[in-house]
Amino acid sequence: MRRFRLPPQILRLVLLTLGIVGTYLVARTLLVPQSFGEYGWYRGAALEEIASHTPVFAGKKACAECHTDVAQKLAHSEHQTLSCEACHGANREHALNHDVVPAKVPNSFCLRCHEANPSRPKWLKQIVVKEHYGEKCSDCHLPHQPSQSP
Amino acid sequence: MKTQVSRRSALVRLGAAIAGVLTLPVARRAKAAVQNFFVSSGAPKGYDPTEHKWLMCVDATKCIGCGLCAEACKKENGVPEGPYFRTWIERYIITKPKPGSVETRGETLVDSPDGGMHGFPECPVPTDQIEQSFFVPKLCNLCEHPPCVQVCPVGATFKAPDGTVLIDKNYCIGCAFCLQACPYGARFLSPVTHTAEKCTLCYHRITRGLKPACVEICPAEARIFGDLKNLAADDPLQKFYENNRTEVLKPYLGTAPRVLYAGLDEEVR
Repeated sequence: MRRFRLPPQILRLVLLTLGIVGTYLVARTLLVPQSFGEYGWYRGAALEEIASHTPVFAGKKACAECHTDVAQKLAHSEHQTLSCEACHGANREHALNHDVVPAKVPNSFCLRCHEANPSRPKWLKQIVVKEHYGEKCSDCHLPHQPSQSP
Repeated sequence: MKTQVSRRSALVRLGAAIAGVLTLPVARRAKAAVQNFFVSSGAPKGYDPTEHKWLMCVDATKCIGCGLCAEACKKENGVPEGPYFRTWIERYIITKPKPGSVETRGETLVDSPDGGMHGFPECPVPTDQIEQSFFVPKLCNLCEHPPCVQVCPVGATFKAPDGTVLIDKNYCIGCAFCLQACPYGARFLSPVTHTAEKCTLCYHRITRGLKPACVEICPAEARIFGDLKNLAADDPLQKFYENNRTEVLKPYLGTAPRVLYAGLDEEVR
């Protein structure tokens, strides 16, 4: 009985196909980023890279850890919804290192929210500066308890 | 002179080359694991994106237009100076109808000077001619079916399992297709990195258990943020749901945004 022999042209084609597929597989392992496909059709490590950015704002909780008295006062005032950093600015540096002194809040800052503007909702207390008495807001209003006077 | 290579040594070399190529990914993975163990990338540990589903709600009736959110966002994320915003506030002014007309309202004017980050200048329309005026905070709408992700030719932008739509800066080629695809105008091309940029929901904050900067800073609680997969009993999100009828921007586009608005006017798009 004659042994079956693969025709040489077919053998060449098979080898060529194997070569192409092999090259593709090798190129793929080398070129596709390692974490690709971890969660989907993208690089999973990108999530961690984006998350590694350092925060700038500390958050109200961090402030209340030390400034318990102010946090208490604020919690029972009209300003209870305010975050400390809304007025005092981003202060994560100060929360991590108490030697860093936060900047003073300028007097005019109250107007950022309370200056009369027809676009503002009616529930918000608004003033027309020229018609309102006084020079400095804090002469009459305690910032942490705005309905009380100093 | 020709160098003679014996069949044995040629086969050994070929075998070594194949073995090398096959072990390369394994070696890479091992190296990464060792690096991860000893070197901290600064990313918070123990955050699993599959265990969260973030949701942002905006109560437009509460926005007072102070612009602190837009300012805080710039500071928190190092957004370049100039007209580049990841979140911004729009002012809508609807004038009274012309005398004698049968319309219920007049023209609608929309502006957002500096994204509202320094507050708003005086109203361009005299107060007695204003029918209605209000502020609307805007940001990435966290679409369930984001068009920006569909058009990215290099797979650099994607929707993470926790619902955030993010950009892989290292793979973005800055072609700006996504800028055109976004129906909410929430993306821009950074003049610094020349890659697309957008709201990440402060990914570096939420993975650390903090609120996004705009939510943290909003003095009127106009922005409510929460995790649908870990809802607390007294979650502000739950309360917002119960007390408000919500809608999304451009619902007819089928993008299924996960930024829900309450108290929107029909003029807002």
